[in-house]
Amino acid sequence: MKLVTAIVKPHRIENVKEALRELGVSGLTTTDVEGFGRQRGHTEVYRGAEYQVDFVPKVKVEVVVEDADVDGVVDAIVEAARTGKIGDGKLWVGDVDRVIRIRTGEMGSDALSG
Amino acid sequence: MADPVATLRDELDALARAYSAGHHGRWVARRRAGLIDACLGALWERAGGPPGAALVALGGYGRRIQLPMSDVDLLILHDGVDPPEVARLVDAILYPLWDAGLVIGHAVRTPAECVAAAARLDSWTAMLDARPVAGDAAAADRAMEPVRRIARQDPTSFLDRLREAADVRAARFGSCAHLLEPDLKEGTGGLRDVASLGWIAAAVGADLEAAGLLRSRERVAVDDAEEFLVRARSAVQLLTGRRTDRLVAELQPDVAREMGFTDEPGLVAADALMRVLFEHARDVELVAGIVPQRIGAAGTPADPTTLIEGPASILAALADLAEAGAPPSAALLDAVEAVEVDDPVRWDAEVRSGFLRLLRAGAAGTRMLEVLDRLRLLTRFVPAWAGVRCRPQRDPYHRFTVDVHLLRAASQAAAAFEGAADDNDPIERETRDQIARPDAVLLGALLHDIGKVGGGGHVPIGAAIAADTLEMMGVEPDIRDLAGFLVAEHLLLADTATRRDLSDENLLLDVAARIGTPERLAALYLVTKADALATGPAAWTPWRQALIRELVAKLQRVFERGDMGRELAERLAGRTERLRALLAGEPEPEVDRFVLRMPRGYFLATEPAQVARHFRTIAPPIGANEVRTAATAGERPDTYEVLVVASDRPGLLSWIAGALAIGGISVLSAQVFTTGDGAAVDLFEVEGAFEAEITEARWREFRSTLRRAIEGSLSLEHRVEEKRRTYPPPRLRAPLTVRSHNDVSEFSTVVEVGAPDRIGLLYDVTRTFADLRLDVHLAKVATYGGRVVDTFYVRDALGRKIVDPGQLGEIERAVRERLDA
Repeated sequence: MKLVTAIVKPHRIENVKEALRELGVSGLTTTDVEGFGRQRGHTEVYRGAEYQVDFVPKVKVEVVVEDADVDGVVDAIVEAARTGKIGDGKLWVGDVDRVIRIRTGEMGSDALSG
Repeated sequence: MADPVATLRDELDALARAYSAGHHGRWVARRRAGLIDACLGALWERAGGPPGAALVALGGYGRRIQLPMSDVDLLILHDGVDPPEVARLVDAILYPLWDAGLVIGHAVRTPAECVAAAARLDSWTAMLDARPVAGDAAAADRAMEPVRRIARQDPTSFLDRLREAADVRAARFGSCAHLLEPDLKEGTGGLRDVASLGWIAAAVGADLEAAGLLRSRERVAVDDAEEFLVRARSAVQLLTGRRTDRLVAELQPDVAREMGFTDEPGLVAADALMRVLFEHARDVELVAGIVPQRIGAAGTPADPTTLIEGPASILAALADLAEAGAPPSAALLDAVEAVEVDDPVRWDAEVRSGFLRLLRAGAAGTRMLEVLDRLRLLTRFVPAWAGVRCRPQRDPYHRFTVDVHLLRAASQAAAAFEGAADDNDPIERETRDQIARPDAVLLGALLHDIGKVGGGGHVPIGAAIAADTLEMMGVEPDIRDLAGFLVAEHLLLADTATRRDLSDENLLLDVAARIGTPERLAALYLVTKADALATGPAAWTPWRQALIRELVAKLQRVFERGDMGRELAERLAGRTERLRALLAGEPEPEVDRFVLRMPRGYFLATEPAQVARHFRTIAPPIGANEVRTAATAGERPDTYEVLVVASDRPGLLSWIAGALAIGGISVLSAQVFTTGDGAAVDLFEVEGAFEAEITEARWREFRSTLRRAIEGSLSLEHRVEEKRRTYPPPRLRAPLTVRSHNDVSEFSTVVEVGAPDRIGLLYDVTRTFADLRLDVHLAKVATYGGRVVDTFYVRDALGRKIVDPGQLGEIERAVRERLDA
């Protein structure tokens, strides 16, 4: 199993959710996050007053998927989150050792399905 | 003799069965206490308690308010003479109770230990409720007297300690008066607050009502509240079978049903339960808060100087107090309640003035509005308030009832205008000075959710209710209009900022058009912030703030540059409407998509009839290598209009300009647009370079040259150069100027070029941009006599402005050198 983590623009999150729903992904976690990548923070000048914007608001999406589904999920997220402009975000994939559904104690794939 | 504990168990079970879970009120609680009394009496008898010892009921059991699952609080009082005898007594009383599974809270103390234990506030207050149950009642009274006396001797410090404890409880458990999952015992306005009135009476050493500290209406209200709270708390305990006091959301439908609530239109039973609970808890909260204040204020002239004789003077008196930061005295509230107040109140200038003074006073003023609410008067002043009063909100963000949320929002909005601005909020600092009528912001904040009446979209409903309410209040038209706008659009900034693409220029222009003026934007920002701060901690996170501030700053700049404003918005709306009429025969979804994706500048620069003509060429989705052209007669004689639509990419404009030049077609003016989905829409006014009529053969040549250039099968550079060599350069030496600006547009760098006209000029400039990997997003080309004045809105390959000064210099230099050649 893999953990797919993506940082995307806030206004793309509905697209991402929709794309994953269409793939049959049954659960995901989103978090409001702030950070910077190549887009950096920037200095906003507002009516003459300067203020530093250190971090840019983004949304983090996390999905745990079967190994076989990783490519589909990654493609779907990249496709749904892309605007072609700076700040579209990043995505990374990592290994997941164990998954347990807390309510039932089901493990592994059983904990992901349904 | 039957086992007294077994008998108690049977009788308690029978009592639990005798009434449904929703009907265990104080009568049942007293009966329960009585059954325990009897059991303890029998146990005491059987154990043979020694002289000078007594069994004393404490706390709720002492007050005879014994709930189904609550602890039985006991004090075993002894004289300390015979410890082994006391140990035997304790065992003989407690073991049978424990064995039967009763939860006992017990203390074993001598009278001196009782006084020492009173150092702890909860032990102290439990003993203020003491009631002898068995044994030497006189000894019990003697032991409790010093405990009561220390409260009486220094009521001030006792009240201070009560208040501190109440603050701690409020912070930990919140309020029963507006929280969705209240703790019925510990929450403010709950049973602990009811009990505290008894402790205060003990400290004062007199009946509160007789001492003028509690009004008879208040006593009745607290009495009713206690009955309701006991029933609700008992229902929670009976339904869960647990010693719990929190009325969690999932229990509410069952508790509501048990207590006889039913669904009403716009109010489900669980919400009706919570509404009544909130009403009772509000009465308790007000009284429990105000009685100690009255004791503190005794001797100071807290009575109103104003004569209370009508609605206006009520508001004026409360506003005086709010501005002075003083509590309303019992006498004032009596005077208020003695006045005949019309339902609804007829608003006149004085009522208006008093009401606005309360709003301007911020938190102190909204507390007075709460007092009016508790006196059931607020809905007479604002009838629409009835729809939101005590109405719970069941969503993940809101913690408070609608009415409490609205009062808090109004108070937050007032805070924005008071004293120093929020240092961390540069937008607030600027916006609050832009608002000529702060009252409109306060009213907008107060009414923003007035449409949450249990069904339908709350924004349109709220806008209608707010319009009526503001009309009834008779506020000045500009305040009325702004406040009404704020109610109707209060979600606009937050929704746009968190859900839409803030780099979409059309979006910004549309939102700016909807808002209309910088003052309205400023007011909307303050209401958005007040709304969020009044909602709960999750609604005004740095994350949301960053997005909302980015949006507001961008909109401010749209207004400052004059890209949008009231007049433009009206013109745009008028033109869109005319266009829709002209396109009535086309499929509506296609027209909608067209209007959405075309830049607003295109609609403003192009007549609706012309746009309607373009529709068929522009509307269908464009393929990556597709080029569509349409040429028609121009407005002026011997001119033509050429429309070119293609997928946008750096260099496209130069290919079109080059193909026109090669075809012997001169550009008089041009407007270049890029759609929301990346199509270039380029509109040229042209004339023949050599002869007035542009023949079909020339058009064919233009189209085929353009196709081949896009495919890469033709070197435009070479062909244009060839063309240029054939003809002499212009004699007129107009000055050459190239300037770049970054403050004209939010998203593009603007390059202005002034140059003498010549063959292929537009090609040369745009070719230079293409070499530098710049995309032309928008362009305006105009020819005046022999001089050309062009404005290009360019972005880099990633769609950004060019901010690096070195790169800007390079662009200017490259264009100048190319045109100077």
